[in-house]
Amino acid sequence: MPRWLAHLIVVALFAAGIALAFWRVGYAWNWAGVWDYRQKFVQGWLTTVGLSLAALVASIAIGGGAAFMLRSRRPLVEAAARTYVELIRGTPLLVQLLIGFYVVASAVGLENRYVVGVAVLALFSGAYMAEIIRGGLDAIPKAQLDSARAIGLTPDQTLRLVVLPQAVRIVLPAVAGQLVSLIKDSSLLSVIAISEFTLAAQEVNSFTYSTLESYLPLAAGYLALTLPLAAVSRWLERRFRYEAA
Amino acid sequence: MMHTRFPVLRSCLVSLLCLAATTAAAAEPLRVGMELSYPPFEMTDAQGKPTGVSVRLAEGLGRHLGREVRIENIAFDGLITALKTRKIDCIISSLTATPERARSIAFSEPYLRTGLALLVAVKSPVESAADLDAPGRIVAVKKGTTGHQYAATSLRKARVLVLDRESSAVLEVAQGKADAFIYDSLSVYQNHRRHPDTTRALLRPFREETWAIGLRLGDDELRDAVNEFLKTFREEGGFEKLGDEFLPEEKAFFKARGIPFVL
Repeated sequence: MPRWLAHLIVVALFAAGIALAFWRVGYAWNWAGVWDYRQKFVQGWLTTVGLSLAALVASIAIGGGAAFMLRSRRPLVEAAARTYVELIRGTPLLVQLLIGFYVVASAVGLENRYVVGVAVLALFSGAYMAEIIRGGLDAIPKAQLDSARAIGLTPDQTLRLVVLPQAVRIVLPAVAGQLVSLIKDSSLLSVIAISEFTLAAQEVNSFTYSTLESYLPLAAGYLALTLPLAAVSRWLERRFRYEAA
Repeated sequence: MMHTRFPVLRSCLVSLLCLAATTAAAAEPLRVGMELSYPPFEMTDAQGKPTGVSVRLAEGLGRHLGREVRIENIAFDGLITALKTRKIDCIISSLTATPERARSIAFSEPYLRTGLALLVAVKSPVESAADLDAPGRIVAVKKGTTGHQYAATSLRKARVLVLDRESSAVLEVAQGKADAFIYDSLSVYQNHRRHPDTTRALLRPFREETWAIGLRLGDDELRDAVNEFLKTFREEGGFEKLGDEFLPEEKAFFKARGIPFVL
């Protein structure tokens, strides 16, 4: 059976199951109210796209930097990175957003809630990214680093030519998973009144009392962002594939 | 004649089942939905048990109906959904009766008169609700409340911040990130007392509202019973006692200024 057919059958069965559940419950659909607010949905979706992209890029940079700091032999550098990772991974994003915006940002004088929101989200995701990248870097056997030094490669060349190609392939699935999580975690930015996609759906629900008619487009909108990301990740994995010894 | 092996046993079992079914139906608990983050109407005491004006009302209603009361703590903007999907039987959560909501749910007779007021940042030039709708004004509201509905329909030029909790909205005003927070006059008064230096309170309601108990559309039997309960509760002085127990200071303060506050 061709792969695309198998995928299609599974998705169709799943959709049929969901439709059956709705039919059994006898939910009274009211799409008219939600259709009136479509502009709100679109604006919210675009805001989520923008916020996620910005946080995505920043979190990779933060995570990469922290991963190198975690592997540093200088005690203060490693301690700073380790504290950051454990603190951010160990506390809820909700708490980080509220304290970050109402306490830290106010103390520092940073007023723009979009900037603060992206920063907190990037720092949150960056902590997870740091551990993922560190794991990938640590997975390169020391024997390879010794061989690289033996044939005369500088540390910079070793990183570029030996470590990174292998490490990228190792961390790619986990990084893609983390980025998908980031897109969904961006929905929490609504607690500091950022008008992103989830808040838009909740507001429409408040005005029209059409709960499922507001939340189904919400799910579809997030899938529209996460499915392409997963597809890009799989494409990158194929590109980086090579025959291991 | 039933041609079963054990006719007597079978009849006994059937009657026992019927008895169990009827007693179960009569003793079915009354599930009351409210958001326990709105003192002194809906809150939790030091031990974590629900308490407050609405909780007392719910308990009184349960006694009147002869049913055990179960308080379900649900976020305010999810209460109507919970009622419509039969997760709760009624809403007693300081819910304002509005025509928009009346299209989705039924309301009992009103039990409290209040109105929308403003908690204003101390440095803001806002002096009344009319000043809100101007470019450059930032207005905070809590998601799903009548303040949110007012802002969505009436404030075209101002920027509206929709927050999911009262504490965030108050912080926005206290830190000067917003000009005003639209909320009910009683809560505005209480929040201003907690932030006396960073906020001002414009307590006279710019829109008067009444609170009622929310019920499912078509649930007429329960609605009539609830209205009957509210009538007898008021006649017995139940609301006076609740006001004295939970809101003595506020009652006196509002009365002295002639601002509607009738429990």
